[in-house]
Amino acid sequence: MFDSYESFQGGVFHASVPEGRAGASIYLTHSEIVAKTQPEGEQTFSIRLSECQLDLGGASGRMLFCRTPDRSLTIFCEEKGFAQALHQDAMGTLSEQLSNLCMTQRRSENQFRFWVMASAVLLVVLCVGGYYGVLAASRAAVHALPISVDEKIGTIAMQSMDLEEPLDEEHPANQLVAGIVDRLKPHAAIREMDFNVVVVESDEVNAFALPGGEIVVYTGLIEQAESAEQIAGVIAHEMSHATLRHGLQSVSQSLGIIAAIQIMIGDVGGLLALGSELAQESILTGYSRGAETEADLEGARMLHAAHIDPKSMAEFFELLKEQQGDIPGVIAWISTHPQHAQRIENIINYEKTLPKVEYHLLDLDLSAAQQALK
Amino acid sequence: MKHEILCRPAATAVRFSLDAEESLTCEVGAMIAMTSGLHVETTSRKRGGGGGLMKGLKRMLSGESFFLNHFTAEKPDQSLLIGPTMLGDCIHHAMRGGTMIVQGSSWMASSSDIEIDTTWQGFTSALFSGESMFWVKCSGDGDLFLSSYGAIYAVEVDGAYTVDTGHIVAFEDTLQFKLGKAGKSLIGSFLGGEGLVCKFQGQGTLYCQSHNPPSLGKLLGPKLKPK
Repeated sequence: MFDSYESFQGGVFHASVPEGRAGASIYLTHSEIVAKTQPEGEQTFSIRLSECQLDLGGASGRMLFCRTPDRSLTIFCEEKGFAQALHQDAMGTLSEQLSNLCMTQRRSENQFRFWVMASAVLLVVLCVGGYYGVLAASRAAVHALPISVDEKIGTIAMQSMDLEEPLDEEHPANQLVAGIVDRLKPHAAIREMDFNVVVVESDEVNAFALPGGEIVVYTGLIEQAESAEQIAGVIAHEMSHATLRHGLQSVSQSLGIIAAIQIMIGDVGGLLALGSELAQESILTGYSRGAETEADLEGARMLHAAHIDPKSMAEFFELLKEQQGDIPGVIAWISTHPQHAQRIENIINYEKTLPKVEYHLLDLDLSAAQQALK
Repeated sequence: MKHEILCRPAATAVRFSLDAEESLTCEVGAMIAMTSGLHVETTSRKRGGGGGLMKGLKRMLSGESFFLNHFTAEKPDQSLLIGPTMLGDCIHHAMRGGTMIVQGSSWMASSSDIEIDTTWQGFTSALFSGESMFWVKCSGDGDLFLSSYGAIYAVEVDGAYTVDTGHIVAFEDTLQFKLGKAGKSLIGSFLGGEGLVCKFQGQGTLYCQSHNPPSLGKLLGPKLKPK
């Protein structure tokens, strides 16, 4: 009888059905919604479209319920085309109810979308905030530690590094560097730090500081420098890394972040091992851009306090910038010290803000050291 | 196929009497005892095709096993005894063409015509309902057997009904389930020990369990000695 009509799979609630509920095939005629329980044709129920009351619900939230006014009979369907077919066949009788339901559903979907977005944003804010929080906390924690910690880490790092034999203490290059350190030392931010400089034979134009005041200068740097003041500029920069405790900070930051991740995720042994390795690397391979800028300005302050022209540091960067590409060794220093032009500008601008003092040239013989290295 | 539910509700088992060629699909590990004329087949598929690898994996998400056991009687008059993992109740639900949404580990057995699939009930309910993220969706015509921790009671919902999180066993898909607070204020709900509750809306059958496993875990956990 209903073969000519489109059929939908759904169900029916009625007291006469065993257990009160049964699956049914649903047909739409122009005046009624008809449900035939399964197996086919067992019982037939119908609701007149004109008295049908619609409701949306079900586990998916998309099930359409059609009820008689006394709620004794309910026909329900979840199929996609059902609402559309109902809208067409009802010829406007149910349009108002359908559009109301549509609006309610859209509102709840929008609400859901809002909450998903809001939780996503909150999660991002928590992650970013947590990251910077950990960085700031570990920075503060580092300053509470005694310098002996820096010294111990520096000594271990120094031993683990595969360096060439340092030059003899009597070597003019060593004398030159030791002279510069002596001049700068009284102006270091941490008075009690014991600086120890070694000159190592290598063509690389490089120098680095380890936590605790261990400073390594490569002979390549001395050979390429145009004046003793330029070397003083580099050494002041490296001494600043030590006094600002950048090495310990990068270790504690990496460890702090790993600890935070561990608290969130649980036990992550592999991640921890990776993290401690990373931390060890970070001391040896370089500091963050922020740490470099900090060391530049602190170095400039030290130079100024020692009556050495801070512009010599900028000059050395200029020199490196010009030679970049000519000497393969230069690349090493540049790769860990980015944005040269910006740094030169920063140093020159900072120097202008310092009180005017008379700068003295260093009483040290660079050419003798360079001769001896040849 | 006839069934008899024994020893309700604390230590329930279900005894089936199967005639030749009748078969039953069970949760892995549910079998307690059986007569010798039953053939057991273990696959990840529904009996006679359907399903396969993906269905098996999806079932695992819902806390069920990857495999299903199909028991088929090769001779007349066979008997099979099955029971739930936890101390608790079993019920029989006759399905007539509808869909039943069952909590992760509560599905125990069903006649072979019933389709077993996995569904999920949205983010919020997944995170905070105390139920598993995925649910087992049973649909078709036939018998469905569910197990629980504690006793099962059925509620015919028409309108609204509230159940504490962790106490849902199964509900018909004509019911909508949302998470809400027990009292008017959120703080009051938590102080009252109820916290969040599951609010059902609509018309249909809902099965609840009298106890819930996480509460037992919370009670026992602190008393256990560390390894």
